[in-house]
Amino acid sequence: MNAVSSSSALRRLAAPGLVLLMTVAIVLWAWPESLPLWRSVAIVSAWAGSGLLAASLLLMVREPHLAQLLGGLENMYRWHHRSGILAYVLLLCHPLALTLDSWLESPQLAWQMLAPWAHSWPVWLGWAALLLLMFGLSVTFVLRLPYRLWRHLHFSLGLGVLLGLAHVYALLGGVTLLLVLLVAAALALGWRLIASDLGVAAHPYRVTQVSHPSGASIEIRLAPCAGSLAVSPGQFVLAAFNDGPHFHGCGEYHPFSVSAIHADHSLSLNIKAFGPCTQKLQQLETDVLVRLQGPFGIFLDSLPAAPQLWVAGGIGITPFIAELRAHPRSQPTTLLYLFRNAAEAAFLDELTALSTADPKFELLAQAGERGLPDFAAMLEKIGQLQARVVYICGPAPMVNALLPHLQQAGISDTAIHFEKFDFR
Amino acid sequence: MRTLFILSTIIFWLAAGGVWLADYLRATPPEQTAPAAIAAPREYSLADVATHNHQHDCWMAIEGQVYDLTGYVPAHPAAPEIILAWCGKEASQAWQTKTRGRPHSPYAQNLLPQYRTGKLRQTP
Ligand SMILES: Cc1cc2nc3c(=O)[nH]c(=O)nc-3n(C[C@H](O)[C@H](O)[C@H](O)COP(=O)(O)OP(=O)(O)OC[C@H]3O[C@@H](n4cnc5c(N)ncnc54)[C@H](O)[C@@H]3O)c2cc1C
Ligand code: HEM
Repeated sequence: MNAVSSSSALRRLAAPGLVLLMTVAIVLWAWPESLPLWRSVAIVSAWAGSGLLAASLLLMVREPHLAQLLGGLENMYRWHHRSGILAYVLLLCHPLALTLDSWLESPQLAWQMLAPWAHSWPVWLGWAALLLLMFGLSVTFVLRLPYRLWRHLHFSLGLGVLLGLAHVYALLGGVTLLLVLLVAAALALGWRLIASDLGVAAHPYRVTQVSHPSGASIEIRLAPCAGSLAVSPGQFVLAAFNDGPHFHGCGEYHPFSVSAIHADHSLSLNIKAFGPCTQKLQQLETDVLVRLQGPFGIFLDSLPAAPQLWVAGGIGITPFIAELRAHPRSQPTTLLYLFRNAAEAAFLDELTALSTADPKFELLAQAGERGLPDFAAMLEKIGQLQARVVYICGPAPMVNALLPHLQQAGISDTAIHFEKFDFR
Repeated sequence: MRTLFILSTIIFWLAAGGVWLADYLRATPPEQTAPAAIAAPREYSLADVATHNHQHDCWMAIEGQVYDLTGYVPAHPAAPEIILAWCGKEASQAWQTKTRGRPHSPYAQNLLPQYRTGKLRQTP
């Protein structure tokens, strides 16, 4: 492992480290003394759950510096999910442990402990929080909803956390620890709402060029109006498009990988029509104002001094083309480019030209109309597969389907890097 | 993680349902058991109560009854000072308002009888 990649491995540990530190500190602070066993279990699980929830909220703050510090947005989101679900399990244990404690005292009390009508609002707040968490997580895990609806419903989880903390406040009053957690949760939610979703911290750019390289996507060039973002190949930005004379932008932030970084600090994006917003963008005109947040992502941050296999699914080619345009290959690199049909495949001519010009760069282009391709057969065509470090970018189902094939081929998890074009 | 969510949620509701069922089945017991304390209530004066006024021996008079809360003090949700301040005293007011203007819940109401040791003697 070279120095760059070991520092990135270290940064990947920062997110779980933060989760662990917050939880352990809170549990130590709130450690119950001389209480019955199950009562203590209830209190510890409640505080650990609250700490994990607060950590989970902090890990969804989309701020470029924080993301850099915590090993990239993908890594943050991974730990956001993990700490959230662990918190949920602990918080389910909390009322059950209280019930068990009551049961041991006298079985009559057990149901009284759980039944909401036997209590007043401090405990109702706890129930409301738990039910909201349950609802929010069901939406996240159980249903396959359209992205926008999913995001709005997912916000109920944030509300659940605040209600949970209100429950603690109603029971215990303004304990310092609780206030710290409340401030952390409110800051995270507030940042998310004001800075990320409303884009207060965004940089203004202007569309200077629009071209239609293939039937289903546009390539655009954006020039900074004021300060520019320091983007490197493999990174993505969040972009919200304003209106033009004949164009209606959807105004919300969507992630797009940068496909070229130019010497004058302008950036290129390549946008494929997927759903409502990206469909509209196909009619984009020059001079439209764009707000950018970022840059995010560490996907191609530390390319190793070893042979590589790159796999791109459809528009997942964008981070790779950015890297190819920025530097010549120093290591033997094979790009496996999967797409529906050649007319839709972005950059195909440019990639073919690059592969004839650069002896270290090999292009394997593969069209396939429907469903997932035969990965096993494709991987057989690649020489020295086990010696390669693998980078995959594309839609989540493709990435998920490819991973087990690579593992079967004997490539270790640490040699596989991927970016899914989906945040869920 | 999805499996963990579904499993833990199911287990939670099964456990909660189990507690409810156990309670439901007990709600119609074959024989009524009368609490022994009601049979022979001992009477104490406020002066008697006042002698049990510290952490390791804490009595309170609440709504005409006398409770020995020594065993409960360490288990109280709020900080111990709040409850310790009432040891050896007539605490009905504190009980009804929980010092911050909120009555105790039926759950807490249910907890109290176990700690009863007798009645408060009505002084003229
Ligand atoms: C890191 C990353 C890099 C990407 N790079 C590119 C790129 O270079 N070129 C390109 O064409 N596409 C890229 N995408 C995909 C692009 O962001 C989505 O296609 C776009 O957001 C779809 O929005 P929609 O309203 O048109 O479609 P919808 O029908 O609303 O969404 C289609 C799918 O896109 C995803 N999506 C939608 N909105 C968002 C959002 N605000 N944030 C995250 N995901 C969302 C969801 O998975 C959804 O299921 C990238 C995605 C990610 C996560
Ligand atoms: C079914 C839902 C819930 C019920 C019935 C419930 C009930 C209770 C009760 C009765 C107490 C006081 C216990 C004691 O101090 O002995 C308590 C404390 C607490 N609860 Fe909950 N609760 C619920 C959900 C939650 C949730 C979702 C959170 C998440 C934030 C939470 C966090 C806490 C915390 C941190 C304490 C304080 C523990 C302490 O230091 O004493 N609870 N809860």
